[in-house]
Amino acid sequence: MNRPRLLIANRGEIAVRIIRSCRDLGISPVAVYSDTDRRALHVRLADAAVHIGPPPARESYLVAEKLIAAAKKTGASFVHPGYGFLAENAAFAQMVIDAGLVWVGPSPASISAMGSKTASRAKVMAAGVPVVPGMMTPAKDAHEIVAFGRRNGFPLLLKAAAGGGGKGMRVVQSAEEVPAAFERARSEAKSYFADSAVYAELFVENPRHIEVQVLGDRTGKVLALGERECSLQRRHQKVLEECPSAAVTPELRAKMEAVAVAAAKAADYVSAGTVEFLLAPDGRFFFLEMNTRIQVEHPVTEVVYGVDLVAEMIRIARGEPMSIDRRPEPRGHALQFRIYAEDPARGFAPSPGKIRRLRRPQGPGVRVDSGVEEGDVVPLDYDPMIAKFVVWGKDRDEAIRRGRRVLLEARVEGIETSIPFFLAMLEDPDYLVNRVSTQFLDRWTYRRRPETDDERTAALVAAALDASEGARATRPPGAGDSRGVSTWRTARPTFGVRE
Amino acid sequence: MKFQARFGGDAAGSGIPVEVAATTPEFRVLVEGRLLSGEAALIRPGIWSLVFADGRQWEVSLEPAPDGELAARFGNALATFDLKDELTARAAAAGGRGRSKKGNVVAAAMPGRVLRITVAAGQTVAAGEPLLVLEAMKMENEVKAPRDGVVEAVVVTPGQAVSAGEVLLRLKLEG
Repeated sequence: MNRPRLLIANRGEIAVRIIRSCRDLGISPVAVYSDTDRRALHVRLADAAVHIGPPPARESYLVAEKLIAAAKKTGASFVHPGYGFLAENAAFAQMVIDAGLVWVGPSPASISAMGSKTASRAKVMAAGVPVVPGMMTPAKDAHEIVAFGRRNGFPLLLKAAAGGGGKGMRVVQSAEEVPAAFERARSEAKSYFADSAVYAELFVENPRHIEVQVLGDRTGKVLALGERECSLQRRHQKVLEECPSAAVTPELRAKMEAVAVAAAKAADYVSAGTVEFLLAPDGRFFFLEMNTRIQVEHPVTEVVYGVDLVAEMIRIARGEPMSIDRRPEPRGHALQFRIYAEDPARGFAPSPGKIRRLRRPQGPGVRVDSGVEEGDVVPLDYDPMIAKFVVWGKDRDEAIRRGRRVLLEARVEGIETSIPFFLAMLEDPDYLVNRVSTQFLDRWTYRRRPETDDERTAALVAAALDASEGARATRPPGAGDSRGVSTWRTARPTFGVRE
Repeated sequence: MKFQARFGGDAAGSGIPVEVAATTPEFRVLVEGRLLSGEAALIRPGIWSLVFADGRQWEVSLEPAPDGELAARFGNALATFDLKDELTARAAAAGGRGRSKKGNVVAAAMPGRVLRITVAAGQTVAAGEPLLVLEAMKMENEVKAPRDGVVEAVVVTPGQAVSAGEVLLRLKLEG
């Protein structure tokens, strides 16, 4: 008998993450890849793999027909979309179902109802859930946004209606900034979500971003699995997440969970999803949006609540009830560091290239979800996240100490990463006492720690030894150029350049 | 071997003299006349573990840095410096530095893919005016004119991948 096969319509770390749950469930994983990703880890870990086109996502990972053909070709009966790409595209979910395949996620109707930020807001408002003032439909033009701003006040936040993860989002301070920001947001929305619809909402100052994990199955049961603190964001992109939130009391948790379950039930929600809230400094919270997919930060919930959310999604897609009766009690505290291929010392500029060296952190309380290995090339075509370091501790302080240990133990060389940024952040007095908001990182400037005199000395000794050894190894005595050249020095950074 | 070292950001001067008397397994290195000794192990190309005589251990990764410099990476610090053997250092000091062509070429500050080009050769541009848009890792970045001028040539095409430092566009020399 052939084992059932599941096609992962994604790449990178989330594709690898889904492969792991497939293996745990005895399901055979199938990967897809663009030209760029032929050598990628998610392809090498899969039982079968299908090439789906050139590097740009809109010609490969965003082409529904190619993904469905890949599933047909390999005999896959399930499709898991991961996050990003087509994960919240109701039309794709419907195409998968129409092709006779099982969609591992919420129904196309739920995605339509909740996946669009404007439609979901209307839906939960009807159920009595409080929301931040915003446009009920995507803006037809910049004038409509200016008019909304004149009615509700500035600043405004422009968002991609089909989006998530901060892509296509812009803050506008005044009416004059609207036209340019609107065009840019539309262009980004078009390239990343294949939908240029953009809308505006009021920008609430100093809020926390708290989100509640929900899980629904086909018996109609919906559970909330606690909250995640996701306030630390840069350019509206989450960088560090925690579970639980140190700002959420058990009473507030119960309230937020009840609202999240009500929101999910309003959309007949099945599978894993996330209800995002803004938590104001005064304790009021507003529904932001619902993400109808697995989240990047799902591991912190998994670690604290002892569930495998991806495996639950697959079980639920098979028509089985979820494996837990009620929400387990939270245990300890977890942090997730998103390791991005970017250079914090140069304004977080993208830093794609070859990973010359990679030492993964290990040991008690550590989980690493990564899509790369040593020697792999991080391409410039896709999201810069290369790994997630998840640490667990019996409380927040222990988790933070473990975080420092893990970030110091890890070595990523050949590309720059956000690791030094996190090490600096874990020394911030406000962060340590959890005095944060979504604007925390906007006001926070990264400065590289200057090397100490001892480090300078060690650097000089190592470099001088290296040059001497290199010279001795590669040149006969007395040869002309006296500068030693050892092999690492000739290895230039490699970028994902083709043709 | 004898070297001259200079750290990034340090003011110009005579540099730090470094002399290697012994390498592995037991090293002896003079830095500014101070003798440092201990055990050195080359773990892999460019990666060294040093145990100094006082017992302190450093794991140091060496890598090339821009402008021919070296970078030494520690857990969460990075030291950038220049290390030349004595002869080369002397020759460089005698030769002086070439004149900067800054401002006439517009180069990519980071690797990326050219998304669109908004100017053409012959066009007059003002400082800060958008010239083209680079895309890397889902972010669009506008490349702006560094000064007023006339575009001499656009040397990239839409869809092209460029690495950091690669020339994108040239401006005509000012009269």
